[in-house]
Amino acid sequence: MKFLERLLNNIDKTIKEGPFKIFHPMFGAFNTMLITPGHATSTGPHIRDSIDMKRFMGIVIFALVPSILVGSYNVGLQAGVEGLFAAFMFGFLKLLPIIVVTYAVGLGWEMIFGHINGHDIHEGFLVTGILLPLTLPPTIPLWQVAVAVSFGTVIGKEVFGGTGMNLLNPALTARAFLFFTYPGNISGDSVWVAQDGFTGATPLAAVASSTGSAVDTLNAAGFTLNKMFFGFNPGSIGETSTIAILIGAVILLITGVASWRIMLATVVGAYGMALIVQFLGADLAGGMRTLPAHYHLVMGGFMFGTVFMTTDPVSAAGTNIGKWIYGILIGVMVILIRAFNPAYPEGMMLAILFGNVFSPLIDHFVVKANIKRRLNYGK
Amino acid sequence: MGVFKLKKGYDIPLQGSAVRRIEKVLKITAIAVQPIDFRGMRPGMKVEIGDTVKRGSVLFVDKQRPDIVFRSPASGTVREIVRGERRVIQRVIIDVDADSSESFENFSKAQIGALATDQAKKILLNSGLWPTLRQRPFSRIADLDKAPKSIFISAVDSAPLQAETDMLLEGREQDFQLGIDFLAKLTDGKIHLSVSAKTEAFFSKVEGVEMHHFSGPHPAGNVGVQIHHIDRIQASDLVWYISPRHVAQIGNFLIEGEYPGSKTYALTGSELTNRHYVKATEGALISELVADPISTSTQRVISGNVLTGRQSEAVGFYDDMITVIPEPKGRRFMGWLQLGFNANSFWPMFLSKLTPKKKLAPDTDMNGEERAFVSTGEYEKLVPMDVLPVHLCKAVLVEDIELMEQLGIYEVAPEDFALCSYICPSKIEFGDIIEQGIIAMEKEG
Repeated sequence: MKFLERLLNNIDKTIKEGPFKIFHPMFGAFNTMLITPGHATSTGPHIRDSIDMKRFMGIVIFALVPSILVGSYNVGLQAGVEGLFAAFMFGFLKLLPIIVVTYAVGLGWEMIFGHINGHDIHEGFLVTGILLPLTLPPTIPLWQVAVAVSFGTVIGKEVFGGTGMNLLNPALTARAFLFFTYPGNISGDSVWVAQDGFTGATPLAAVASSTGSAVDTLNAAGFTLNKMFFGFNPGSIGETSTIAILIGAVILLITGVASWRIMLATVVGAYGMALIVQFLGADLAGGMRTLPAHYHLVMGGFMFGTVFMTTDPVSAAGTNIGKWIYGILIGVMVILIRAFNPAYPEGMMLAILFGNVFSPLIDHFVVKANIKRRLNYGK
Repeated sequence: MGVFKLKKGYDIPLQGSAVRRIEKVLKITAIAVQPIDFRGMRPGMKVEIGDTVKRGSVLFVDKQRPDIVFRSPASGTVREIVRGERRVIQRVIIDVDADSSESFENFSKAQIGALATDQAKKILLNSGLWPTLRQRPFSRIADLDKAPKSIFISAVDSAPLQAETDMLLEGREQDFQLGIDFLAKLTDGKIHLSVSAKTEAFFSKVEGVEMHHFSGPHPAGNVGVQIHHIDRIQASDLVWYISPRHVAQIGNFLIEGEYPGSKTYALTGSELTNRHYVKATEGALISELVADPISTSTQRVISGNVLTGRQSEAVGFYDDMITVIPEPKGRRFMGWLQLGFNANSFWPMFLSKLTPKKKLAPDTDMNGEERAFVSTGEYEKLVPMDVLPVHLCKAVLVEDIELMEQLGIYEVAPEDFALCSYICPSKIEFGDIIEQGIIAMEKEG
């Protein structure tokens, strides 16, 4: 232990002062990940909670593991690979390069900005680097991933001043970038199955393009509610399995990492809006409007976005009441987009980005209400 | 009488509370009086190195308000005047010898009852005990020329390992009552005394106060929290607060006509084996109070509690306890992956959460490095006031005076946010930020 500590201290010094100082933020992250920084408090509180950002973000990654496992398996399953392990390995080998590229490119940018701003690499990127690949189709070209990560990190985060200052969720910013620049590689029917020549529409796309009853359409395509709940249908790698995502949600909620208010509010908002759409459905034409409300919760990126994206503490609303409003807003938006925008059956990404943009405003009004309450005290 | 059951807050389960037994420390060879105990006060020295002083002699005065004097709690010779950065006087060290006291006029209960406000004020200023009165906003020594709306006394012990009020005041019920009688002369408003289930019995016979009951986790005992619930202050309001021990000290001064230089301390912290209460001279050096050997390289000696105390050689003016805890033993392998059976944490991310009653002995490791703010909503669970901690701190950081005012900077003190700093995964110093805000407000006038 002492040996390791001395070794790391020596390397730290060499890198800090030598020609490789650009790598110092990277090394700093590695160094403190291997053994704790070990700084003592200088002022009160003299003792501090054992929690740090590494633990905090580590828990999020841990919560993503079920989605990674089931998602990988499903990629293999959709491609027609036989056998549980073989299917998993097939999918995992599709996912791994995407994760590697995301980390390599993203950490590269983090390192440059860490060097410029003189800080270590922040742990938040470790989560972004897994979230983004899980929201992509397995066939995504790796160079596009690299471009998207660059956009998400630099424009989505660093131009605002880095981690903690960003307005938008960096992973979703990167995904939105891909969606609008290379729509052919991230939407449509041909990108979801990682086997040349095979196509498969996502359940949402199937419903959106139908004119009759949504449930009939889904059943005809083999997408039962059960199947979609377990995630054995085409879709982005990590988003299909509702059960895996819910396991992650339980981990996030027990540990207090993510806000239950936001998750609950998003579900309530979406379910409520979907009921309204369903109620109006009789008078409206088109598949999406006949979709039962609870189907929305297991389809597309809704649950993945609700559990892992809306709850990003930086881009979400910060006040408790604000979190309710923010979640409901996103929930309502996602159904509105799904039901009333024929060009775009999946609404979650845009709904969350929309919520991100509004969250400072929501907080502003909550803070104003607090001020008003304070001024009225005693009157 | 109000009953306040606070839900928000957190009690850190710590080892090392003091047993309820008072011992007398026989040998005090030196004391330190520390001007830095008094926030924002610049001292004008009245003694030099080598001067002999009696118990009750003036050591220094407040430069801006020379009517406020600070007196020596013991008689002896001034050994050293320690200066820190920019020659700010840190402490005055006095070698203690045989006790001799300055004498002051003494008063009976009836005489105290007949005092006029101006007279009472003069007596308290002259006694050297005026600094026991502090005010909100800004939590500094009370202003001379503005009368307070009311006076608050907190006898609720909620801070980690906090000295128990009834132990500190043992046998001093009469002094306490006289102190209350006297304080009543200083305000037209009420005197609010807050008690908990534990201290209620001790104060049951006190007259002339409005009693309040507080229960709940720390910071329920913080006077700022109590003011917020009992009688909130607005920008133009001014309230005073004082600790129960100081009330008794004022009472004792009035009846005896001598400066009361003795004080009871609690010796706490996981690093001490002899943990109890001691009766000794105010400003005593900690090394003379504790029986255990102490090594400052492996142990941290704190005057006050672990949340708001200060590293110090002598016990501070407002502190009733010392806490000794371990310094970090070095860097730990993959600390962020630990299962954490013994990890102290508010967050349910460690296995220690399964044994919430188990008392721990954390060291002074920061357990991380400073990062960007993450508004998880947990900070709000620790501040039992209608105040938004994150937004108030952000207002301070962007130096928006008006917003700070609107978000409640007048109501708060750094101590009210100590738990926020404690649980912060980004290791943000909430207390320091609030302090910065208070200084900015004071400058603004």
